[in-house]
Amino acid sequence: MELDDKRLPGGGTSARTDDGLFGTGGPTFLTTKLDFVVNWARRSSLWPMPFGTACCAIEMMAAAASNYDLARFGMERMSFSPRQADVLICAGRVPYKLAPILRRIWDQMPQPKWCISMGACASSGGVFDAYSMVQGIDTIVPVDVYIPGCPPRPEGLIYGLMMIQEKIREESLAHHKTLRAEDPLRAGFPEADADEVVGLTGPFGNSTKQNRVSGLERTDRADRPRDRKP
Amino acid sequence: MAQKTVEYAVSRNPEMGTGGLPAHGPLFPVDIAEPQMSSENMLINIGPQHPATHGVLRLVCELDGETVLKVIPHIGYLHSSFEKLGEYRTWNQVVPLTDRMDYLAPLIYNCAYVMSVEKLLGIQVTERCKVFRVILMEMERIFSHLLWLGTTAIDVGAFTPFLYAFQERERIYKLHEKYTGARITTSSTRVGGMMADIPAGWIDQLKDFLKSFPRTLDEIDALLTTNGIHLGRTQNVGVISGEDAINCGFTGPNLRASGVPYDLRKDKPYYDYETYDFEVPIGQHGDCYDRYLVRMDEMRQSMKILHQAIGRLPGGPMDVQDPHVTLPTKTDCMSDMESMIHHFKLIMEGIKGPAGDCYFAVEGSKGELGMYVVSDGGPKPVRWRIRPPSFVNLSVIPRLAEGHLVSDLIMINASLDIVLGEIDR
Amino acid sequence: MADQPKAGSALDAVQAGPATEAALPARLAPTDLHNPSVDALRARFGAAVLHHEVTAGDQHVVYLEAGRNVEILRWLKEDPTQHYDFLADVTAVDFGGGRPLQVVYQLWSMPHRRALRVKCELPLTALTIDSVQPLWKTADWLEREVYDLFGIEFAGHPDLRRILMPENYAEGHPLRKDFPLRGRFTRAEQTRRALSQDPNDQYIPAELAMGREPQQATPMPAGGPIPTDRSGGATGAGR
Repeated sequence: MELDDKRLPGGGTSARTDDGLFGTGGPTFLTTKLDFVVNWARRSSLWPMPFGTACCAIEMMAAAASNYDLARFGMERMSFSPRQADVLICAGRVPYKLAPILRRIWDQMPQPKWCISMGACASSGGVFDAYSMVQGIDTIVPVDVYIPGCPPRPEGLIYGLMMIQEKIREESLAHHKTLRAEDPLRAGFPEADADEVVGLTGPFGNSTKQNRVSGLERTDRADRPRDRKP
Repeated sequence: MAQKTVEYAVSRNPEMGTGGLPAHGPLFPVDIAEPQMSSENMLINIGPQHPATHGVLRLVCELDGETVLKVIPHIGYLHSSFEKLGEYRTWNQVVPLTDRMDYLAPLIYNCAYVMSVEKLLGIQVTERCKVFRVILMEMERIFSHLLWLGTTAIDVGAFTPFLYAFQERERIYKLHEKYTGARITTSSTRVGGMMADIPAGWIDQLKDFLKSFPRTLDEIDALLTTNGIHLGRTQNVGVISGEDAINCGFTGPNLRASGVPYDLRKDKPYYDYETYDFEVPIGQHGDCYDRYLVRMDEMRQSMKILHQAIGRLPGGPMDVQDPHVTLPTKTDCMSDMESMIHHFKLIMEGIKGPAGDCYFAVEGSKGELGMYVVSDGGPKPVRWRIRPPSFVNLSVIPRLAEGHLVSDLIMINASLDIVLGEIDR
Repeated sequence: MADQPKAGSALDAVQAGPATEAALPARLAPTDLHNPSVDALRARFGAAVLHHEVTAGDQHVVYLEAGRNVEILRWLKEDPTQHYDFLADVTAVDFGGGRPLQVVYQLWSMPHRRALRVKCELPLTALTIDSVQPLWKTADWLEREVYDLFGIEFAGHPDLRRILMPENYAEGHPLRKDFPLRGRFTRAEQTRRALSQDPNDQYIPAELAMGREPQQATPMPAGGPIPTDRSGGATGAGR
């Protein structure tokens, strides 16, 4: 047995023998950083939990279908059970009636877990700045990656998943306890406290500047500067 | 009126009683004593986050063994307050909301909404616009049925049709994208016309699609229509008679599978549908298999309409020449002061119509898609109401699934072709 | 087109203002003034037919006395000369400003291929109308939706509960004009209340019992107390 000087990715070394791990001449053992090999394993077989509700779910299906083929990134195994999932993809708008379900699914997922907020509605409420809609799921669960778009294209989703992979690459087991700590008493409670919710969901755009019934009052001619009495 | 009965040359399995169980006895006639079990029924909860509910639908089932005694659908998990938001937007600003409602057939919703507003405002769209909207709506019917086909096939255990269907859907996505710039949220219609004229090469691309699509459809047909597993899962499952179906408010392919030839394109023709040569496929048995056959045939009929519509697409303007409704061209706005003021006024003040109300229904991919708009003479609707086809179709599921197995419940739910975005609105 | 002043005329037309009811353009004039069902209704029910109008060119609207809606709709459904066997839609309209709420029924007759819109007006002080669920099963969910979003009660409906909003929703009926777009509570309060719902709603036993025992139709009181947290115990139809 002789040691091969060829450096493996991640800074490891290997030894070659006749009946090695990967056939004749392949390595029989690898040395590498634990962080690297754990992160490599984690990021290369992410099992997404597709929490698809609306339009974004259709794009998520398109991403999983033959043209875009998420399987190339080790993610073809859509895990419809949260207990066996790594990434929660929240695709689509989330009304308040659905919020406890989203939170429960997040609580049911084991650590390590990540969350993608796909699309404008999941990230901020989108055009639905109305009575029934959660204004961004980051008030309910912690979010790692936001994907903009209404809906994002499948490429966008794939890019978002690659960002998650990038994020995993940076993680270290040394910080696992602090990074992945979860307080069981917080299960079922919103991620953001009351002040944060108000801060995150403040009115924006012109949706709140519009009047109710019809524009008749608003478009009153006297409102225009040149019609105003001097 | 032209209609045809769909009945594939597959003999219907007489052994299959209701519930997909052989009518004459147990499947494996082994003499095993029935275990003594208490008569307590089991309660299982499907959804709201479940791959087989086609969205965030929640079904609470009471089971006796594997037989469904009662199904209670719970909806509202996607209630996005569309109708309330519509009251805060001008007539044209509502259009982007419509395609987020049914993301499986956005263009039909775009068209149905503006058609109701145009009827209320008394606007006659141009001939070119009419034919082009027919093209878009028929294309969307194929688009929506393809998704239904793929996901329903997954529900009965066939994954290949999903991949085939999405391959063809990608081609329609490309057509969407070429015309509107978006893959799903098209927002392509405007009151009195369309967002733009047809881009160069678009019709050719559509023709290419029509050339290749029948082959894929035949392939899917060959995979499913005579497939023994598919037959066993769908024949005599979820049967409803025509009379009951009308009383329950069924519309679209679901109603026609029960043998009622009610198709708004024939019964309340709009956009000269009476001059197109196509047939309305109807079923005889009203089960899941007939719903499948009717939808498969509808895609073929849609292709037939598309060929005719492409042939008769006239030239001329796309938008009506009415200054109250149509914006001046972008070039004019940038070079001409009056046009710019005109543009500004139309955008800021909106289109104003007479006070009144209007109910206008089109044949959507899922059934009668009605839009009810109420105006008080202002630029915004006082009430914008969608008559949701899948909402009404879904309300029948307790009656359809009673007495069937749990696995049949999944097939029945899939065969109704629901979209939760429009059920919950 | 070239000899006309291009944009000037368009702008003038816009500045002249919208078409008002006083001067309806010809395109909006009713094209179809006669509907056999309306004449038959007038002949049979007389004063219960309050008003008839034609909108959008050819759509006939009949305003009925709210107390007799089921009787008249039953006749419209079952009389062979009318035969409105298909109820397309049940909805409501709120015009705001304290005006009465309208309950709107869209009818369609499959054999006669005829449409009719029936409206009943309900004053805000008495928002109750008889349910048409026994006539058309379609009305089951549609009436529940109207109840949920407008607060109109349908007497005789077997299962009148909220359908779209959560069971513990306490902000009122969202599609009323006096309901603000973003809801009555703050976003923080809405989030707190949303997360305090139990996904295992407690009203399932009551639902399962429905249709088995003698009907106990006790609809939820409109302004009644609504439990807001999980300790609220059994809520729902049995209340």
